[in-house]
Amino acid sequence: MTLENVLLVSSVLFAIGLYGALAKSNAIMILMSIEIMFNAVNIAAIAFSRFTVPAGLTDTPITVTQQAVQRALTGQMLSVFVITAAAAEVALGLALVIVVYRQRGTVDVTDLTEMSG
Amino acid sequence: MSANVNVNLLTPEFILAGMGLLVLSLDLVLPKARRGILPWIGVAGLIAAVATALIYRWDRVEELYGGVFIADRYSLFFFAFLVILGGAVMIASVDYVKQHIKFPGEYYGILIFSILGMVLMASAGELLTAYIAMELLSFSLYVLVALRKYDSKSNESAAKYILLGAFSSAIMLYGISMVWGVTGTTFYDGIAAHLTANPDLDIGLIVGLSLIVAGLGFKVAAVPFHMWAPDVYEGAPTPVTAYLAIGSKAAAFALILRLFSEGLLPAIEDWRVLIATLAAATMVLGNLVAIRQENIKRMLAYSSIGQVGYLLLGVASLGVVDAGGAVVFSERASTGIMVHLVGYAVANLAAFLVVAVVYSRTGSDQISDYRGLAKKSPYLSLVLSVALFSLAGLPFFAGFVTKFYLFTAGAEAGFLWLSGLAMVASLVSLYYYLRVIQRAYVDQPSEGDEETAVERSTFFVPLTSWLMLGVLFVGMILIGVWPTELAAAADSASDALGTVRDVSTALVR
Repeated sequence: MTLENVLLVSSVLFAIGLYGALAKSNAIMILMSIEIMFNAVNIAAIAFSRFTVPAGLTDTPITVTQQAVQRALTGQMLSVFVITAAAAEVALGLALVIVVYRQRGTVDVTDLTEMSG
Repeated sequence: MSANVNVNLLTPEFILAGMGLLVLSLDLVLPKARRGILPWIGVAGLIAAVATALIYRWDRVEELYGGVFIADRYSLFFFAFLVILGGAVMIASVDYVKQHIKFPGEYYGILIFSILGMVLMASAGELLTAYIAMELLSFSLYVLVALRKYDSKSNESAAKYILLGAFSSAIMLYGISMVWGVTGTTFYDGIAAHLTANPDLDIGLIVGLSLIVAGLGFKVAAVPFHMWAPDVYEGAPTPVTAYLAIGSKAAAFALILRLFSEGLLPAIEDWRVLIATLAAATMVLGNLVAIRQENIKRMLAYSSIGQVGYLLLGVASLGVVDAGGAVVFSERASTGIMVHLVGYAVANLAAFLVVAVVYSRTGSDQISDYRGLAKKSPYLSLVLSVALFSLAGLPFFAGFVTKFYLFTAGAEAGFLWLSGLAMVASLVSLYYYLRVIQRAYVDQPSEGDEETAVERSTFFVPLTSWLMLGVLFVGMILIGVWPTELAAAADSASDALGTVRDVSTALVR
């Protein structure tokens, strides 16, 4: 498994999510597509932290410096943050979708046309 | 290796967070009749936060958590500006909330959390922190926009806002992960070091930076990422609209300014034309579409899109390449952006506050309903006209001076055509601002016309709104005729951006 392979998976996921978010008209499907995009971000971040050897490490391969640890961990930190933020985002989004559903009886975004222009 | 954490320095942020929780929980305890004091408790907390920040951080340059959080003059400037702005919005919304919003505790509590998000955006020295701070602001705004739960416009706009907001965050995050993958760091200065060492941009870096720019473009509503703004602005409760137009934009520009001047400056040749194009498209489209709006909130939404164009002009001219080929940070441009943000914030808040008061009395946001406003309330129409003149950039009012700073900086950086375009766009904006003023002052009902909503209603301006409008009125004039103090403050803040911070950070990166 190489970095390229994993990044390919991640970009394909991102593209699927992007397509879904733009093409679907059901609000819940859009939220799910956005979730897929977030997960593509996670995969890319983890892959980078797993596969890229920091330039600083190649000079002194033996000593594990704090710098190296920090570099290796940033990607994993990023994905933990993203998981949290995405969960919060979707919780809020679903709450709003429910409010809209109660009022209009539909979650189709093409029906959200009270304001336009 | 001890972590360099001077937690005392974070006291102002802790005060903000504590205040938010306090207001939220007081709402549970207080009887309904006493909840009127909530905003004043919040305002007291904000004043305390600004005071501690000014006392603790004056003349202090420090990096916390290895550079994740930066305390310098720039952060301090934006801390004071954004918290005062939040406090002003809070006071300005007292009457509106009393009438139209059923959950005052949630409103004020979440407003304070969003202020915390804004100030963190200005002091973040790293992409991930900046992102989290931005999400704290955005989540709060999603809730604030939706707070008129039983109003279908409010719901609809909140749903649109969160769907597009989440979408743009995902795009921006993908950009951040790309940038981190290529440069190996998410710190602004680390990115700058990478860009200096590798002047030829890697394709991954180009993709990453473009995605970040797109995500930030969504947040500030720059064309072509502006589609959400008019709908959200129209549907949100009016004080929240004001807050969206001013606070979230100012905070996003605080982030952009630090990111672009500390992180991306070495590659300015690669992005300045892109940003300049965005700026041109934003100012032209925003101002042209504003002309045919009939709803005043929508008109102000498009006008604020136009204002983003002017600010982006400042961003595009952040750096100048000197004779030796080195990139020099242009303090003038960043001072211009900051000064313009302040002037724009004061004028726009005044305009929106008038709109909120008129809506509370008449229930209408239509420009055609503003006929007779000058007769019913000379004070309101005076403040509204001054605010609109200031937004258009007429002399003696804030907008003229601040635009002057901004456009000269643009012209100096070689964007003469863009500065010229910005001036033409300002002229166009004068047209649709004058239409409102004409409605309020000149138009007379002709035979057979129905009475407008303003003419029908009994009119009075509540005391808090009256005072707030007075303060903003004085502010607009004061900045217009005596901008030196403000410019000096912005100058010293730009100084902080332009210099390399000489601090010992315990964590290497």
